[in-house]
Amino acid sequence: MNWRKAVALIVAFLILVTLHYTIRPLLGWRASIDFLVIAVLLLSVRMRPGAAALLGFLTGLVSDSLTPATLGAGALAMSVVGFAASWLRAVIFADNVVLHAFFFFIGKWAFDLIYLVVARGAPPLELLAQAGVWSPLSAALTAAAGVFVMLAYRMTLDPQHA
Amino acid sequence: MARAVRASSRADTVVLIACVFASVMLTILPSGARDQVASVLRETVVQPVLALQRTAERGRNAILEREGLARRLDSLTLASARLSELELENQRLRRMIGLGEGLRTGFVVAEVVHTQSLGDEHTVTLTAGRDKGITQRSIVVAPDGVVGMVTTVDATSSLAILWTHPDFRVSAQSAGSNVLGIVRPHTGGEGERYLLELTGVAFRDSLNPGTLIVSSGLGGRYPAGIPVGTVIGEIKTSESWARTYVVRPAVKPQDVTTVMVVQPERLGNGVANIWPKPVDTAGRVVRDSAAKADSASRAAAVAKADSLVRARLRSGDTPKTSIIPRKPPL
Repeated sequence: MNWRKAVALIVAFLILVTLHYTIRPLLGWRASIDFLVIAVLLLSVRMRPGAAALLGFLTGLVSDSLTPATLGAGALAMSVVGFAASWLRAVIFADNVVLHAFFFFIGKWAFDLIYLVVARGAPPLELLAQAGVWSPLSAALTAAAGVFVMLAYRMTLDPQHA
Repeated sequence: MARAVRASSRADTVVLIACVFASVMLTILPSGARDQVASVLRETVVQPVLALQRTAERGRNAILEREGLARRLDSLTLASARLSELELENQRLRRMIGLGEGLRTGFVVAEVVHTQSLGDEHTVTLTAGRDKGITQRSIVVAPDGVVGMVTTVDATSSLAILWTHPDFRVSAQSAGSNVLGIVRPHTGGEGERYLLELTGVAFRDSLNPGTLIVSSGLGGRYPAGIPVGTVIGEIKTSESWARTYVVRPAVKPQDVTTVMVVQPERLGNGVANIWPKPVDTAGRVVRDSAAKADSASRAAAVAKADSLVRARLRSGDTPKTSIIPRKPPL
């Protein structure tokens, strides 16, 4: 990875983090788009698994700091998702929009499931509804946004892949 | 080469295990310690992110509250409209109290009940009658001036004619110059119905627009000094030996809600000093402004006098009358 690509990725990452803390609260949907997952996945596939896990850990920690009751849960989930994404990079390198969408969907859902299991805050029934209904919905929205972000990234910041 | 890859892969796994371990440690921390860690993060690296989220949530709240705010604004606008009515009412009552203090004795305060029946708009019912000492032909006044006269007195109420009544007459004079005449309702068209006429003014005398007309005291019914109205302009009539002026009344009938009925015995003491002197009223304003103004502002002052009457005269639908606006005094 040359330095221009690295800068482009960092810019994209920062934009996504900003979107996560502006668009998400503004929309206020229950099944919301997780821009942090998109950001981590976008970078993870271009990093070594260890670095991706570290990036996921730090990003999750930032997210957790706003919900101290579940501190660590997001970091753990994001570390695993980042590591797995980097490890499965061969899948994402296939230039297939559906595969990309599936990748974002699985990434977000996996994040939510790990988070819910580790956080253990909600009653079982609510946990089940969250994992079975709201998380997949949120994952679907995240997948749609992720594909859009991926295409936008390739067209603007990484035109060689467009 | 294969060894290097294996070593690298092992390092990745170690990092992952470290991250997972750190995360698990964070989750099992006591809540106090967790709060501390979160607090340190919020105050340092997460602070810009937190500020962003706060701004976004404010934006969302603003969007959500917009409709509620619009509703509240509508309610406030309605309330403020009512408030202005109350302020006007308050002002009227204050002036009424002021008039009461001027008269001191010999008057009865009454509320006005406007009759809504067609063709009877010149008569009002007063909420005071014989029980309050009101007698027939008592004069009815308001802080602005003459309102009318009591015609019928019942036990607890009475009827009064307004100055718009065709039978209403008051002997009047111009404040300051003592030009005499008789004031009666102006018998013009629909738009001019709520104006007065000062008739029988000697041909040698002339009045300028804005001159205050007050009761003269002649005839014994209305004491001298009660404001009747202000001159708008002269009209031409078939009476070539006398001048007639259109007068804007001091009191608008529709605005009258509370009046004072002055008892006959009070009239003997005079009321001239109770209402403001002519110099304090519209006449002075017109004179002062006209004195400073050039011809254009004079024309504007005259134009203010009464657009309705002049418009009608310009259209020429009543050849009998025409207003000749006079130059305001310098």
